[in-house]
Amino acid sequence: MSVVFSDTATAEFERLLTRYPDKEAVILPTLHLAQKEFGYVSDEAVVYVAGLLGVSPARIEGIATFYTMYDRKPVGKYHVQVCRNISCSLLGAEHLIEHVAMKLGVKPGGTTPDGKFTLSLAECLGSCGTAPVMQVNDDYYENLTEASIDAILDRLP
Amino acid sequence: METILTTHFAADAYRRIDTYREFGGYDALRKALSMTPEGIIDEVKKANLRGRGGAGFPAGVKWGFLPKDLSRPRVLVVNADEGEPGTFKDRLIMSRGPHLMIEGIVIASIAMRLHLSYVYIRGEYVREARILDEAVAEAYAAGFLGKNILGSGFDLDLTVHRGAGAYICGEETSLINSLEGKRGWPRLKPPFPAAVGAFGLPTIVNNVETLADVPWIINNGGEKFAAIGVEKNGGTRLIGVSGAVNRPGVYELPAGTNLKEIIYTHAGGIRDGKELKAVIPGGSSTPVLRPDEIDVSYDIESMAKIGTMAGSGGVIVIPEGTCMVRALSVLMNFYAHESCGQCTPCREGTGWLKMIVGRIEAGKGREGDVELVLDVCDNMMGRTICPLADAAAMPAQSFIWKFREEFDRHIGEQKCPYGNRF
Amino acid sequence: MPTLTINGMTVEVPQGTSILNAAKEVGVEIPHYCYHPKLSVAGNCRMCLVEVEKFPKLQTACSTTVSDGMVVRTDTEKVRKAVTGVLELMLIHHPIDCPICDQAGECGLQNYYMKFGLHKSRYSLEDKVHKKKVQDIGGQIVLDAERCILCSRCVRFLTEVTGTQELHFFHRGDHSEISIFPGKPLANDYTGNLADICPVGALTSKDFRFKCRVWFLKMFDSICTGCSNGCNVDVHYKGDVLYRLKPRWNDAVNQAWMCDFGRLTYKGMNEARLLTPFVREEGARKVAAWGSLLPDVAFRLKAAAQKGGPDRVAVIASPQSSNEELYLLRRLATELLGTKSFAFSHRVAGDGFADDFLIQADKNPNSLGARLLGIPDGAAFDALVSKIAGGGIDALLVFGNVVGTLSEEEAAALLAKVPFVVQVGTNEGPVSKAATAVLPSASVAERAGTFTNHAGRVQRFRSGFPARGKAKDPIEILVTLGNRLGAGWTFAGEASVFKAIAETEAPFAGMSYDSIGMFGQEIAK
Repeated sequence: MSVVFSDTATAEFERLLTRYPDKEAVILPTLHLAQKEFGYVSDEAVVYVAGLLGVSPARIEGIATFYTMYDRKPVGKYHVQVCRNISCSLLGAEHLIEHVAMKLGVKPGGTTPDGKFTLSLAECLGSCGTAPVMQVNDDYYENLTEASIDAILDRLP
Repeated sequence: METILTTHFAADAYRRIDTYREFGGYDALRKALSMTPEGIIDEVKKANLRGRGGAGFPAGVKWGFLPKDLSRPRVLVVNADEGEPGTFKDRLIMSRGPHLMIEGIVIASIAMRLHLSYVYIRGEYVREARILDEAVAEAYAAGFLGKNILGSGFDLDLTVHRGAGAYICGEETSLINSLEGKRGWPRLKPPFPAAVGAFGLPTIVNNVETLADVPWIINNGGEKFAAIGVEKNGGTRLIGVSGAVNRPGVYELPAGTNLKEIIYTHAGGIRDGKELKAVIPGGSSTPVLRPDEIDVSYDIESMAKIGTMAGSGGVIVIPEGTCMVRALSVLMNFYAHESCGQCTPCREGTGWLKMIVGRIEAGKGREGDVELVLDVCDNMMGRTICPLADAAAMPAQSFIWKFREEFDRHIGEQKCPYGNRF
Repeated sequence: MPTLTINGMTVEVPQGTSILNAAKEVGVEIPHYCYHPKLSVAGNCRMCLVEVEKFPKLQTACSTTVSDGMVVRTDTEKVRKAVTGVLELMLIHHPIDCPICDQAGECGLQNYYMKFGLHKSRYSLEDKVHKKKVQDIGGQIVLDAERCILCSRCVRFLTEVTGTQELHFFHRGDHSEISIFPGKPLANDYTGNLADICPVGALTSKDFRFKCRVWFLKMFDSICTGCSNGCNVDVHYKGDVLYRLKPRWNDAVNQAWMCDFGRLTYKGMNEARLLTPFVREEGARKVAAWGSLLPDVAFRLKAAAQKGGPDRVAVIASPQSSNEELYLLRRLATELLGTKSFAFSHRVAGDGFADDFLIQADKNPNSLGARLLGIPDGAAFDALVSKIAGGGIDALLVFGNVVGTLSEEEAAALLAKVPFVVQVGTNEGPVSKAATAVLPSASVAERAGTFTNHAGRVQRFRSGFPARGKAKDPIEILVTLGNRLGAGWTFAGEASVFKAIAETEAPFAGMSYDSIGMFGQEIAK
């Protein structure tokens, strides 16, 4: 079962190629594109992107597994990534992580049975002034408390 | 006190080009187009503008490293990877004042006679990348980017390039490799990026804040910038205070402001009525300070003199009652997670440090473990391709040197006296 | 040319030399894993750290170019501590596989541990990171990711030499692992080199796996017989059995590499050998003695020439023979037997595959040698085969194990047309099954001489041990036969034959074994 870019994604891929003197520079942006198109970076996606760029699948796999934002396995509809680095920890991140884990019924790394939430631990998200912080898909949620986390997660459709 | 960057950050609309221009935005660019490249670099040198990414290298000097030979195109890459724990200032600039950075990029490009630039922004900053994309599009539309800028004949292309989650890509050669579509492995130096950089071309890498300072320097002159600040460290710094303070956030203060003042006056002191226990002054990789050490000028030289660093300007405040072993364990987990794996001492050493500190924290520390940590740190420092190994070792060493009894207690009592909790 | 001092010794080296290579010039061996002279510099293992005056930090010798007046020390306490420290870090996750690891005895970690380590492990067994072991990743290679020290030589080889990039680093930090993409195994003709360049037992040869401990192996220089490229090889053997071939370095021919097909050609020298002279009587093999068989063969060849005329005696030469053997055979055929029915075929059954690197389409080591020595092929060979098929040959002397690309049935049918067929060959095959008399020949490992590769480079191959069984050096066979036919030859061994070649054969004029040396010599163009 192979995957293919939609016309929009193909257009974006072609546009990306025009911005760099070397075509391999588009590998990271293309993997972001693939993740958006296909939901996650599957084996097929790796082979597909390798083919687009004329490099070996092993080369693309090396990149897809190096950077944390590329999901090589499917994630839930909402990827809840709670920062566990120093400033967030000083302000109670570990309690919040336990709280979310209990609320969702999964351990960090796990996905809820209905496929709605995946819980992960993140390293510093660069928002230490509003710690504790979490990122859900593309969005940051800051100044977290147990109550605010509940409200945020309950609100997600 | 004169602010250079954050003056208009309270206005949401400041990130739009029309509001930015109302406040004098892009006037510096116009002025720079009438200056010589050497003249621009001169002003920046006079300003004592030290790199704001962490290394503190004088920007004007760095710009002069590009080869005199113009036959090969050169590249400016902006390091917006902001991954150092405790650092969150570039995010502020890019979300509230993106045109400051863009204007700085254009002026720097004129000074360095280059026509190709990239902003490498960490992948997690999705919203900031979108804001940047919009700002860049506005700048192109207004003729401040692209071909024949303001009719000067000067061309500059700028592309926003998103990372994908790797702290190591904040190191300039790793960033360049990542930009080229590779794993974020740092490169051997020499050759330095100014000689062989992105796509094999001479490249200069600068931090977001460094470039954002440039328009003010052009408008007001380098000497005036230098006058704010101290002898070798001109201008203001965006200092991010986080941890157990009443008013965490980014504070724009002259370089050389007293660290105690930063914490107690500007950030409102320790929250919950607690006492201060420790301060990590310049991002997690900098040696920790005890409360009796923070009465010091927050500038690059003064911090180095007391055995730590101003680094990326990230002040992390640790309150009484914090288990320092647990705090160190958090950091060791971080560095082990972020080690790129290219060279032996860092790849194996960060994992080993995480393991030893973790077991000490869990009450399973063994006799000799503290000495072992220090020995592993010795085996890591100064032996690697890039400073990540040093960045992991320095916290470990300084936490042990300054809070040794806590480590000994964990091992002696085979438990965490703080209950394995923050 | 910059001059520098290393450990107090002064040396002058070409501009651009690394400290590592400069040190070799004065006999100082700086430990290293990731550096390989034929691959780009990686500088990631950090074993080659040395002290350089005026530099605050230790520098990697592999990546630091020497400058005039540089002062380098590799023998200080600081350096020793660094090397030991790096080695300890490298070993913490390394599995204790030595008792079952093929690399033992030629392992970089073992060697440097004995020299710079000898420490007790400070890392518990249960904390070691585990990775995938014993993976068949295609080609000739087994991958054990746990043993890997992540030096990146394999990745660089597959990027810079073969361009196929099947292996890469996955993940990050101490979970970094070398792997293929699932379903995309090694797919190039040079996979065997990966086991050569891997300093440890992470990449090992499937063929050699568990066959022999390396400290029992001896070695000698030879030339691969797989095609006309003439890659230089080291032959590893124990007793009179060959175990493996490894490329021998020759920048003019094969740099440091050889192809997978060539690597396995040693098997033909072990298996299905002709080791006893025999004759065929009433369809069955009957063992014969050299002492009576050789004179008998000579007699029957001479008789056939006298009876029907010299052209009714045919000689088929082999492009697998050495220059020395071909020279003697040519003289025997043209001067002593006086026949014009004399040719060789360079064509070999198979795909004739060639690439733009080492692999040549001609799968014989010495076709050019045969041509330069005046032995016709091509149309002449086809004509000879037709003559044989038409019953025009009464006696045939054939060198080699096959007749061109003829199958066993075709060869049997062809040779059935000749009343007397005598073979000088090494292995069972179509010819040995049909020949009247078989004179078993020493293999290339059991004799010495020279081959001329496709580019005209004359290269020496040496013998590792005497001919197995009752096989004989073909030079000895040819001299005996020749003298039985009245040659009066006094040749004693391949060197004396080559001397004669250099004196009389224009392409080889002025050559000697000395001038050929270790790396070969090109014929005059």
